[in-house]
Amino acid sequence: MDEENPELAPNLRRQRLLLLLAELRRFAVIFLIASFGIFLALEAMPEDPVSLRVKNPDPARIMEIRESLGLNDPWLVRYVRGVGDFVTLDWGQSLISGRPVREEVARFLPATIELSVLGVLFGTTLGISMVLMAHATGWRFLLQPVRGLAALGLTVPIFWIGLLFILFFSVSLGLLPVGGRFDFAHPSPTGTGFFLLDSILAGNPEAFWITVRHLALPVLTLGLYPAAVVAGTLEARLGESYIQRLVTALKARGFSSLRIWGRHILRLVSGPVVTVIGTQAGALLGGAVLTETVYSWPGMGRFLVDGVLNRDLFVIQHGLLLVVVMALLAITGFDYLARQLDHQLSIKPEDSDA
Amino acid sequence: MPDRKIRIGDAWALLLFLLVLAGLFVTPHDPMSQAFRDSALEGPSLSHWLGIDGLGRDFASRLWMGGANTVSLAAAALGISLLLSSALVAVEQGGPGWLGRLVRMGIGLWVAFPVIFIGLLLLVFLKPSPGALVLAVGLGNTAFAFRQLRVYWMNVRGALYVRSSEVLGSRGWQLFRWAIWPNLRPDLFALCRLLFAISALELSGLAFLGLIGDPDFAELGSILKQNQAFLYQAPSLVILPGLLLSLILLSAHLTRFHR
Repeated sequence: MDEENPELAPNLRRQRLLLLLAELRRFAVIFLIASFGIFLALEAMPEDPVSLRVKNPDPARIMEIRESLGLNDPWLVRYVRGVGDFVTLDWGQSLISGRPVREEVARFLPATIELSVLGVLFGTTLGISMVLMAHATGWRFLLQPVRGLAALGLTVPIFWIGLLFILFFSVSLGLLPVGGRFDFAHPSPTGTGFFLLDSILAGNPEAFWITVRHLALPVLTLGLYPAAVVAGTLEARLGESYIQRLVTALKARGFSSLRIWGRHILRLVSGPVVTVIGTQAGALLGGAVLTETVYSWPGMGRFLVDGVLNRDLFVIQHGLLLVVVMALLAITGFDYLARQLDHQLSIKPEDSDA
Repeated sequence: MPDRKIRIGDAWALLLFLLVLAGLFVTPHDPMSQAFRDSALEGPSLSHWLGIDGLGRDFASRLWMGGANTVSLAAAALGISLLLSSALVAVEQGGPGWLGRLVRMGIGLWVAFPVIFIGLLLLVFLKPSPGALVLAVGLGNTAFAFRQLRVYWMNVRGALYVRSSEVLGSRGWQLFRWAIWPNLRPDLFALCRLLFAISALELSGLAFLGLIGDPDFAELGSILKQNQAFLYQAPSLVILPGLLLSLILLSAHLTRFHR
């Protein structure tokens, strides 16, 4: 494309570079705000996290521990060291369990990523395929569940739906496990921490099947919200008149429905759809934490909530910051993907307040 | 306005909200006392309409009180977002240019932080309590409310009829009351409805995570959390709270109080 328009190409490249720089600056600013916010919150904590943990309330001993953790230094030193520790992955130990925070995160994070990625993938696929199928086949009744789904997102709590799924699929039908990530009777797959991947790598079909059965309900629950959002956006875009005209034109050329909707139209509308997933990343994060709680999924959500409730200093400090960084990475990634899919988005609008 | 007929949807929503909110003052039994522990998990009867929960409390009373608490807490969170965002819009529109840019930039960063993060951050230094959750939800939705409100305001403020009444000499309060407000009101009401639904869902979600502090506090989310343990023995203890919340939000969506 760039070669066809030699005078446009440098301009577009410059635009992209500027956009990348703005993205990086935004990333840095949000990281600094988040880290400082977490630091301030920890400073304002009414209880002393160390004396909460020490069984023998001896002031000298508490002072000694605080000194060894570096909690008595001036605030600027502590803040800068905190950020430095985060960047160098030196995350200290949990005050509750005494285990290194990094090992705990390495245990819980793959579970959360596995669940969220599959949930978003499933939801997006469901939303897109339902809407496109309704349009491609002309069966408008397929749009009814789409409209129902859109209303669902703002009326029905996602965790309640999860509980209903458990009631129906696990308690009544006895088809699927109630919760957890793996069967206790079997050794869980090891390696990357992503059980699906691990069981494939180990060539263990039984472990794979157990993992799938445990994943089914959480993925279904988590996918409902993205499905609703994606379907709504897609439906709105498809209603635009230029799409209608394009479809007529493509039909006139004798293309099959599958080719028109699955290739040309899908490509055209995929940009906004990906963007909307990116903007909903925060809501998805909340949904992931709730889904983890419903299905007792051993992921980051439970880990962080317990950390905050237990006033576990280093878990809060590094775990919360990690979540912000991951959410930012996801948003930036989706933005990038959307621009790759839809080049019109590369040109920044004049009046943008972001 | 001559057209004062109340629609069925509005009447129904009003009735439901009043009925639910009455749970703050009257319930058939004390929703907190575990007086019926001997007959825990018993089914419905004449004195206990919806049976008794796992800890020996009258479930109808808990549900009623829980609905009332959820509605009033969500309304409080909505109030916080609305007040903060209108103040910010006022500063952004009326203040000097650099302040406006600062506010817009701040909001651009604010949206990057999801409610769950703000909630956890607040609970690091606040005691887990209904008030802290209301604050978290209110703050979390302020950026969204600001963006919507700003668009509405700019649309109405720039509209031709407002410009004309300005030319005709209308200023300040007069201008706002007679030219801007009647046209801002429907949008504002729609925003309130949306924010209420979002707030209620987020609030009960945070409560479901156990962040509300007292696990016995009657809120639909925390009731669900507590009753999840009895999923096998008494499914209605789990089905009904979610059903009530969905009914409340659905009714809120059906309202059309303007025009």
